[in-house]
Amino acid sequence: MKINRLKISLLSLSLLCAFSNVEAQRTTSLKINEVLVINETNYQDDYGVQHPWIEIYNSSAGTVNIAGCFLTTDLNQPRMYPIPKGDVLTKVKPHQHMLFWADGQPSRGTFHLSFTLDSIGSNFIALFDSDGKTLIDSVTVPAGQVADISYGLVHDGWDAKRLDEELRLNQSYEGGNKLWIPFTQVTPSSNNFILDKNDKVENFSKNDSIGIGMTLTAMSVVFFGLLALYLSFKVVGKIAISLSHRRVMKTSGVSIKEAKDMHEQSSGEVFAAIAMALYEDSQHPHDEESTVLTIKNTARDYSPWSSKIYMLRETPTKK
Amino acid sequence: MDFLSFIGDNLQIFLSYTGFANATSGHLIMILVGLVFIYLAIAKEFEPMLLIPIGFGILIGNIPFKDAGLQLGIYEEGSVLNILYQGVTQGWYPPLIFLGIGAMTDFSALISNPKLMLIGAAAQFGIFGAYMLSLVFGFDPAQAGAIGIIGGADGPTAIFLSSKLAPNLMGAIAVSAYSYMALVPVIQPPIMRLLTSKKERVIRMKPPRAVSQTEKIIFPIVGLLLTCFLVPSGLPLLGMLFFGNLIKESGVTRRLAETARGPLIDVITILLGITVGASTQATQFLTLNSLKIFGLGALSFVIATSAGVLFVKFFNVFLKRENKINPLIGNAGVSAVPDSARISQIVGLEYDSTNYLLMHAMGPNVAGVIGSAVAAGVLLGFLG
Repeated sequence: MKINRLKISLLSLSLLCAFSNVEAQRTTSLKINEVLVINETNYQDDYGVQHPWIEIYNSSAGTVNIAGCFLTTDLNQPRMYPIPKGDVLTKVKPHQHMLFWADGQPSRGTFHLSFTLDSIGSNFIALFDSDGKTLIDSVTVPAGQVADISYGLVHDGWDAKRLDEELRLNQSYEGGNKLWIPFTQVTPSSNNFILDKNDKVENFSKNDSIGIGMTLTAMSVVFFGLLALYLSFKVVGKIAISLSHRRVMKTSGVSIKEAKDMHEQSSGEVFAAIAMALYEDSQHPHDEESTVLTIKNTARDYSPWSSKIYMLRETPTKK
Repeated sequence: MDFLSFIGDNLQIFLSYTGFANATSGHLIMILVGLVFIYLAIAKEFEPMLLIPIGFGILIGNIPFKDAGLQLGIYEEGSVLNILYQGVTQGWYPPLIFLGIGAMTDFSALISNPKLMLIGAAAQFGIFGAYMLSLVFGFDPAQAGAIGIIGGADGPTAIFLSSKLAPNLMGAIAVSAYSYMALVPVIQPPIMRLLTSKKERVIRMKPPRAVSQTEKIIFPIVGLLLTCFLVPSGLPLLGMLFFGNLIKESGVTRRLAETARGPLIDVITILLGITVGASTQATQFLTLNSLKIFGLGALSFVIATSAGVLFVKFFNVFLKRENKINPLIGNAGVSAVPDSARISQIVGLEYDSTNYLLMHAMGPNVAGVIGSAVAAGVLLGFLG
């Protein structure tokens, strides 16, 4: 029985581990982040040649393996370029980027796509999950792209919801209301928006230089949190007390009022006094004890630490 | 002759590597500080389990040596001390300490008299008082937040938050927090006496009611859900605290609880203490900022203690005569478990030798732990 329980526990634990691993590896956090359609004098690939490129960003806090996913320019052909499996370089670290060259030469390596981009018309680009059906992210790069100017997300990994939130909550946001913008200074494999300061800290420095705002807000949160706990446990306490009264009613067959009285009387001191009386009774104490207590100094000459038998070799004796 | 000069040269090179050749006045000052910590721990028994590892860590961290790429110092990547220090810099020692604290804390006093939680909240004024003062002293808001948390009187929380908000000040903040926690018996009693009248000091509180096991089991679950939904950034600390408490109270995971409150917390305390101590290398530690942090830390403890005591007095205005709270337990809101609660008991007994406040003081004391973790979560959310 015990072994079965252990098996069930271990099985649940391994299932949980497997599940959390799947969660950590979620490809849904991948975003198409920046695209350069016409690359004339810009970033070169590992063969020293300029090609259009597509940047993918991992917006999650865990490493994601992009292997097995598909990149395409046609919604009807989602499996246009399968990203090869077995390449250690396909793991995208948290909040990091990965660049794919749209040069139509997949034989050049994992990051060289089997298609190119249209330099005149618009380009639809999509990233599909490894099942070839689930669309992870897509973008349509408008026609008329200018050479060496990329088209990218205003902030790495943002979506429309995140932009709305920023526009709603941050009045000092200066990025405009567009999610995709052209970048005259392209940022392949690096952040589209360079963070050179902590906006939150800057905001507090500017608007709350002596800290009263922080103190009031934070103390309100602390008080509210502990107040909520207080109220919850006031209710829980009342329920527990009433349940205990009911138990007393049932076991002693008394009314609710009597049960309450009994409960109030049964304080810790009363229990302690009863316990003491029972203990004394069980020990049969006498007024005069027959034994005599004395104090006698004892010499502790011997200790295993100083014993010679543990340190010296015994003299062999003839038997 | 050549051989002799070879030996002489070698000896000279050897001497240049010794601590004697590389010692500076800063190293000697820090070694002295370490010795004072060890003295306080052994002779005065001020938080010996913290001050002995930290004090000895200070000695380890301030043995001067020549940087020869031997991977010795705590700040040298790959050194043994540096590897152990990762638990501090990456912030995973503090949650493990909180797991142990949860597994050894009995929240009964708090559950039986939940209004004591508000005292734990009030004492967090120490954090934000120090935050405001730090801003005045020229620290930026993130650094001020990290310094302010010293007022939470909670070493692991201070380390956790400073590792996120101001890693360069972490050594000074951690040492300051632990030092003042050890000095609670010196700092708090005068403030408690100053802010209370004789009549208030002898207030007798109702004995706490017996709490059922069901209530004790519900507490960590509801506590986690309420506090972490409100402040998710406090999750590492609060999650572990309440988890530790659940394995204690559930009654069916005795082995886990015993490990968490025994061997695990002991191991982490040793590693945390020794590495925090060793991180106070004179070259990194002896700066004007460290001195400012020590000053602000002392003030934060004073503010926190005063806020706790004054809040109880204020709270008493609204309470019925039989429900009045002895303001001497207000100091316990600064967390520093269980030392500040013990101070309430000692000071209380000075004025009424039959008035035992320890059980009552444990309520705000553990509420202070929750309060300071929530406050740390708020600061991390706003400034992280």
